[in-house]
Amino acid sequence: MLPRHFRLGGLLPGQSGPAEHCGPSQEPAPALAMFSEQAAPTAQGLLAPPSAEPSTFARAPVSTYTDCTEPFRLGQRSFSRQYAHIYATRLIQMRPMLEERAQHKWGSGITMRKLCELQAGEKCCVVGTLFKSMQLQPSILREISEEHNLLPQPPCTKYIHQSDELILEDELQRIKLEGTIDVQKLVTGTILAIYGSEKDNGKFLVEDHCFADLPRQLPMRGPSTNHFVLLVSGLGLGSGSGESLLSMQLLVDVVTGQLGAEGEQSSAAQITRVILAGNLLSQSTQNRDTINKAKYLTKKTQAASVEAVKMLDEILLQLCTSVPVDVMPGEFDPTNYTLPQQPLHRCMLPLASTYSTLQLVTNPYQAEIDGVRFLGTSGQNISDIFKYSSMDDYLEILEWTLCVGHISPTAPDTLGCYPFYKSDPFIFTDCPHVYFCGNAPLFSSKLLKGRDGQQVLLVTVPDFSATQTACLINLCDLSCQPVSFSGFSADEDEGDMEIGH
Amino acid sequence: MEDELYLDNIDEFVTDQNRVVTYKWLSYTLGVHVNQAKQMLYDYVERKRKESSGAQLHVTYLVAGNLVQNGYICHKVAVVREDKLEAMKSKLATIASVHVYSIQKALLKDSGPLYNTDYDIIKTNLQNCSKFSAIHCAAAVPRTLAEVSQAHTSAQIDSQTPNDLQVASMPVTNGHVPSTAKQASQQPKGIMGMFAAKSSSKSQDTRKETKPESKETTGVSTASSKPPAKGNTMSNFFGKAAMNKLKASSESEQAKEEREVTKPSVPAAEPKLPPTTTVEKPGKKTEPVKIQKKDRKSRAKRVDLSDNEEEKEAENLKKKRRRIKQPQSDSSDNEADGPASSISQEDRAPTPSPEPPPKAGLEPASTEVKASTGGKKRKRRRVLKSKTSVDDEGCMVTEKVYESESCTDSEEEFTKAKPAALHRQSTAPVKKDPKEDRRGPKKGAATASKANKQVSIMGFFQKK
Repeated sequence: MLPRHFRLGGLLPGQSGPAEHCGPSQEPAPALAMFSEQAAPTAQGLLAPPSAEPSTFARAPVSTYTDCTEPFRLGQRSFSRQYAHIYATRLIQMRPMLEERAQHKWGSGITMRKLCELQAGEKCCVVGTLFKSMQLQPSILREISEEHNLLPQPPCTKYIHQSDELILEDELQRIKLEGTIDVQKLVTGTILAIYGSEKDNGKFLVEDHCFADLPRQLPMRGPSTNHFVLLVSGLGLGSGSGESLLSMQLLVDVVTGQLGAEGEQSSAAQITRVILAGNLLSQSTQNRDTINKAKYLTKKTQAASVEAVKMLDEILLQLCTSVPVDVMPGEFDPTNYTLPQQPLHRCMLPLASTYSTLQLVTNPYQAEIDGVRFLGTSGQNISDIFKYSSMDDYLEILEWTLCVGHISPTAPDTLGCYPFYKSDPFIFTDCPHVYFCGNAPLFSSKLLKGRDGQQVLLVTVPDFSATQTACLINLCDLSCQPVSFSGFSADEDEGDMEIGH
Repeated sequence: MEDELYLDNIDEFVTDQNRVVTYKWLSYTLGVHVNQAKQMLYDYVERKRKESSGAQLHVTYLVAGNLVQNGYICHKVAVVREDKLEAMKSKLATIASVHVYSIQKALLKDSGPLYNTDYDIIKTNLQNCSKFSAIHCAAAVPRTLAEVSQAHTSAQIDSQTPNDLQVASMPVTNGHVPSTAKQASQQPKGIMGMFAAKSSSKSQDTRKETKPESKETTGVSTASSKPPAKGNTMSNFFGKAAMNKLKASSESEQAKEEREVTKPSVPAAEPKLPPTTTVEKPGKKTEPVKIQKKDRKSRAKRVDLSDNEEEKEAENLKKKRRRIKQPQSDSSDNEADGPASSISQEDRAPTPSPEPPPKAGLEPASTEVKASTGGKKRKRRRVLKSKTSVDDEGCMVTEKVYESESCTDSEEEFTKAKPAALHRQSTAPVKKDPKEDRRGPKKGAATASKANKQVSIMGFFQKK
């Protein structure tokens, strides 16, 4: 990144000078330049007396948009089924993929065995579902058991423990695993193929294992010019703290073209879509007082989420009048708890839902925007794996779910999930071009290259209420840039200029 | 020339009114493009400082550009105070934009007032928040009413039986729309949300009604303030008895003399509905108005009733309502009565009172009403509760309103009370009147129950 200082002497207040900038040494920004480079040439154009005709830019239209959330939309819901069916169908669906991978990895001559056909000492390959028995895993049965008289376990960030064990289950049997397999890293619900042999003590000694790996990918037919998609998550409205409110307003203003000099506004006009990836409401709106307190205390109090949703409606209205917006629900939003979360209801957003640019979508969300396939969640799947695995980096976990071939393997074990029985919609059927998760602690992104030439941009979208950062993805070349906003506060008076916002 | 006016304006805002003048606030206040507003602010600052260097002006700027952060090139957008401007600019590798964000007299400690100013001005200009923006999106057009109703009806169709479509497409002759409770569930919007609680599967509306209804709902909901008020009035308006009867009548097959006639007038009348809140009040001056009213009521009660015969239902409803207008069985009969009765109705207190002598035409209606109520027996009952509210004229209105509750034994008693009143109103069951007199409330209720429900143990008590 070449530092280019645009020191325009004549444009600060107190000096009269020409309106336009001077910058002599700018080479024309390359066609695929990100936001700033495009905007740079006219950076200080607005430090001038009013000009005659202010320019207005037309929002770059979305050439193609296909909503692919059909598998995640639940029509009639029936909860009378057991969850075992999901595992059964997951295994059935993924078995062929895994067998193929296993043969690819260990040679086509290996013997594929079911657990019931295992013979002691014979080297073979078994495909099954992983179950990790964890000592610290919160168990409702233990909590309510009177024998133990235990207090409920306090919530931890991680529930892994040295004594955790891995067990492989297939349709009929289960077997304990030991050997070269990373017990801490793996989580329940993963479908994998293991290669090894059964020992005399009844456990399976694993020599190697493999996952389904990335599925095949359709070629990307992206746009030829710069088209951006803005990913934001964790707006956290209704939190009662105003720190991120100005940043949120700045975000809306940049996207709607109010903020910035003309160059920046013309760059912002190339933002073709905004995706809000969950947690639009803050966790503090989840106050459960009305359930715990006596009725007479809570009778006249309004739920915190009411105000927050009104605020959300106003923000969405501002955005919708200018850009198509996709709203995904998150952990703290007023929709169902189990995955897949259904779209927010339009009656909650009366102002914004009059615009056709507002799209209320499911979590997980899948769509093809301008020929680029997006798939992402609001982060519950990743944060749940974070709790039960030794992996610490959200980006690493995101990549791992892609390699395992399943969006959320821990559902329904530790993450609420709808009892599917016909098919498991969280299995990757084809590889997306952009795979994101919301509400991560930090922004990070990576371009993953698959074995068969797949190219996936992995993005962890940070929690806006904490980091005031959003993500800008360029559909043209699958590059990603964080965008951060800040105001100023009294604390900044002292201290370094070096310290960030 | 006029260009200079803005300088005076800004001067006034900043110095006299001591405001925080952000570019956005100025843009909305003066009605100019945001970029022009930014330039105006800059111009003002510059001139003011040239004039008197002791000017008490504090300026904040917006700076945006590239910054290396955590190994990524981050595009940073920041609002900074003037004294930190240079420092911020030096931190940025590339500067994408710099412009004046706001001017104010006092030195701001933090950016809170900036946010508040912007928030306030946006709040007052919500409907055209992108008017002065530099980006115009062609796709962002509000949905027309037709589109929204399309969306509503398509959502409805998904959740409902295909019957709806058929029924809707042909002129409803019997109004016995087999729509299920789902129809009720689709209407949690706007005014119809009022009835969501009451939507216990009884609503049956024809598709036509649905459509105009949804359209109306949309229209209503966009007129934000009105629907809630109307919904309230409407729900109060429909006393429990009325609701019960409506349910009953909805299920009954009634010839709708006027239904088809009025139907064409309904869509036309629709647009008038939102403004005519008074329609709800007892005041059907004209048949179209009546129809509208009935439509509205029926619509509102969608959940509860299927409109076999709007008119009859409405009239029954009205009759049940007590405070409502006088029973007007047929529009033809009552047109003359309309004005008179409506006036009297308006004056009438909304308490159950003996209805005017029932008309012959209502006889079948009432019987059917009772029958249908019986047929509609479900797990959820309507419980009579008193609700006090202020109606359109500012009068306190206490109405007995049916509210859905899970089945309780008290239901029988309540239906007694209402049906007793109803009986008084209805013409046909003249025979019931004596019955009622004879038996007293319990029996009256029994009769009502008998009429409403198809099978009831209380039938034993009828032969006295």
